[in-house]
Amino acid sequence: MSLKPLKLVIIASSKGRVTVKYPYQEPIVTQEFRGEIDIDPVKCIGCGACVKACPPNALEISESEREIILKYFVGRCIFCWRCIDVCPVNAIKGTRNFELATDKSTDLYTVVVHTRATCEICGKPVETTRMRRYVTEKTPVTEEYITICPECRRRLLAEAVSMRKVGPSERKE
Amino acid sequence: MSVKNSFLKKSIWVFHLNTGSCNACDIEILDALTPFHDAERFGVKLVVSPRHADVILLTGPVTAESLPKVVNAIEAAPRPRIIIALGSCGCGGGIWHDTYSTIGGVDKLLEILREKGIVVDAVYYVPGCPIRPEALLYAVALVKGIVPKKREMKVYKAE
Amino acid sequence: MPNPQEALKYIELATSNSGVAYVEGDTVHITVPPERLVDVADTVFNKYNCSFRVCAGVDERPLNGHFSIVHLFTDDRAGYYVVVKAYLSGENPVAPSITSVVPAADWCEMEARDLVGIEFTGRDVYRLVLPPWWPSNLHPLRKEVPYNYRPQPRIESEKLGYSSEYGVIPLGPYHPALHEPEYFELYVDGERVVDVKYRGFHVHRGIEKLAESRMNYQQINFLAERICGICGFVHSTCYALAVEKAAKLEVPERAQFIRSIVLEVERLHSHLLLLGVAFHLLGYDAGFMHVWRIRERIMQLAELLTGSRKTYGINLVGGVRRDINEDKKQKALEVLRELNREFESFIEVAISVPQVKKRLTGTGILPREEAIRLSVEGPVARASGINKDARRDLPYAAYKYASFKVPVYSEGDNLARVLVRVDEVFESISIVEQLLDKLPGGPILLTDFEIPEGAVGVQVVEAPRGGDIHYVVTGRGTLYRWRVRAPTYANIPALRVMLRNQPLADAPITIASIDPCFSCTDRIIVIRNGVAEVFKFPPMVK
Repeated sequence: MSLKPLKLVIIASSKGRVTVKYPYQEPIVTQEFRGEIDIDPVKCIGCGACVKACPPNALEISESEREIILKYFVGRCIFCWRCIDVCPVNAIKGTRNFELATDKSTDLYTVVVHTRATCEICGKPVETTRMRRYVTEKTPVTEEYITICPECRRRLLAEAVSMRKVGPSERKE
Repeated sequence: MSVKNSFLKKSIWVFHLNTGSCNACDIEILDALTPFHDAERFGVKLVVSPRHADVILLTGPVTAESLPKVVNAIEAAPRPRIIIALGSCGCGGGIWHDTYSTIGGVDKLLEILREKGIVVDAVYYVPGCPIRPEALLYAVALVKGIVPKKREMKVYKAE
Repeated sequence: MPNPQEALKYIELATSNSGVAYVEGDTVHITVPPERLVDVADTVFNKYNCSFRVCAGVDERPLNGHFSIVHLFTDDRAGYYVVVKAYLSGENPVAPSITSVVPAADWCEMEARDLVGIEFTGRDVYRLVLPPWWPSNLHPLRKEVPYNYRPQPRIESEKLGYSSEYGVIPLGPYHPALHEPEYFELYVDGERVVDVKYRGFHVHRGIEKLAESRMNYQQINFLAERICGICGFVHSTCYALAVEKAAKLEVPERAQFIRSIVLEVERLHSHLLLLGVAFHLLGYDAGFMHVWRIRERIMQLAELLTGSRKTYGINLVGGVRRDINEDKKQKALEVLRELNREFESFIEVAISVPQVKKRLTGTGILPREEAIRLSVEGPVARASGINKDARRDLPYAAYKYASFKVPVYSEGDNLARVLVRVDEVFESISIVEQLLDKLPGGPILLTDFEIPEGAVGVQVVEAPRGGDIHYVVTGRGTLYRWRVRAPTYANIPALRVMLRNQPLADAPITIASIDPCFSCTDRIIVIRNGVAEVFKFPPMVK
């Protein structure tokens, strides 16, 4: 019987102990690790681009009369960081945090509450006040269009078109 | 419950219950037993029958096909029953939380168990996809009371 | 690109069977009427020696009012994909079964029957994928059924079967020998097992239907990665390559190199995982612990390169999301050098351990003719003398820039399967070193592109367990149809041959040596006590 299997003792003793005694020692986590995300409530404009990009629907938007609420549920997050890729204002940052265990599922939520702006003409609630400010800064659209809702805009356009004085004889064939 | 706290200070024997997961969390459970992370420092051991288990490690969104068997396995564990739900699938149903073939994670499973009269004393949630072996060791240390809880609910008002 | 002369015989085959054919890139599309399907499949499989991969049922009623059935073959010598399609009636779809000429098509036809509702003539039928209490007129993959409609699940478990002459033993689904939920009911006569009832598909999560509903093209990459936790990056790459082939996108070269490097890193971790589990099943626990200690460095390397220890999440349609800079390259080379040294010195010791060497030699033999007939994949085929590897036959990503050997052994026993994997570990290390050396510059992600509607793409990627195939049909904003077939699907019927006349104690290591990955497939085979012969009910492969 060969003695080669006993070489394992030499391999084991030359390696020594490799255990990293977490949580009493720092774990080995690289700089690239994708952990939890951190939503900055100052920068977020409540546009919902992250909600559209999230594969497991961990980010959700719910609307009420006065508020638009962005909810982030860490429990269902898959840590893909697609929300960070698509956010237009860089409000979401990635961290390396993985110590998220808890015994109450409500601990796993992060909520950002936005106030809604209203249409100047009919008073219906539309997008968030911050998003209105963001669109005004980014695109050359006049102030009077940005403060009315799509239905009122359509009605005003139809009224303007209907007031053009073109009779049947002037219409081109 | 003081009975739970006093006996959990000793070694915890875990039963691994795979309710239909993709196996990434399951090989990280096995990885926690290998020399680098060494869960046996805490006295953790994998047992073969739910009757011997102190804590049940649940992975996977509960699929429709495996639901009756999962209910039987949890019923077989003796009181106090503690479930640790691992990963995105266990905590919230995962990326497939609303398809025709899954029930949707441990919360919906608890409703079904409550209707049948099976009492679960404590549930712990460990997010991750897949969970790191260190996150599993953190959860075991949390169950034993060695480390404090770090994640809390955050509510911000934007204006 | 393959030689266009080789495609002529398929075009002649189609026209002589009153069908049409066209060639697009490296894929030959043949459409024939349903009556000629069996003859065409017979010629392609038996005469032209193609490998059969999978079949898929497609509900095309919103487009043209028909159902269709698609059979996918690959011509490994010439490097062509051969897609054989037949249109069926929109009211009552019936197709002839090809299992009489292609035995490997058994399960995929039953899957089409359960999920799409296509009936098959000329064979026995049984329910395979959906639970037994599922309503029989509800086919989830039909277009009018919403993806989140859930019939009331049954919570009571069924009663055990009853037999007046034999004893009944339930095995599973949660059993110490099993890592995943599978259920067997054994009918025993003393020590001998005379009958088996099997129920699988506990891991069926409805992925193909989900991809057609609420997901767009970029989100499906993350869904595909979670089909399997051990070989997830293979599924994600295969999906991205199939969509890029259908939309004819020019992906940057650097992205293809990064994909190939990460694919090989995944192959390393998967083979080391299997070797550890095999040693554990043989009783050599010290080997298990040492192999997984060596494997841990690869998990840390994967985290450095991609951002996560598993389910890497760097693939997007059009490229990758993370780059490899000079610092990471040096660290990677260092880890691979150390791995080479440690693994070489360890495996020499491990294979010479008496319980390992004697238990692996001469057990679980799969002869070459059976392996060809059953179209097995991966190391199982290479250990039985078949020289088949999709990285060399149907080159994809950056494999044409690396030179590597394909290890082939001819004995076909468990030891050959283990040695194939050991050789592949060393080849993978060499491939990664070559590709890191030749990494070109340039961008890593294509951002400005459009995906047309109605395009078809087929792609095979060599996973650690064999060839994985994805078939996509693009739609508006998301996929119209997606069919995935993982390699273990094709390897499990071979267990029936391998376990014949073997002692029972060798059964666990034989099953583990094909490296089954049930979340990819969820099928298994059963062992029988006493004079072991694999027996399955319903009949698997005739």
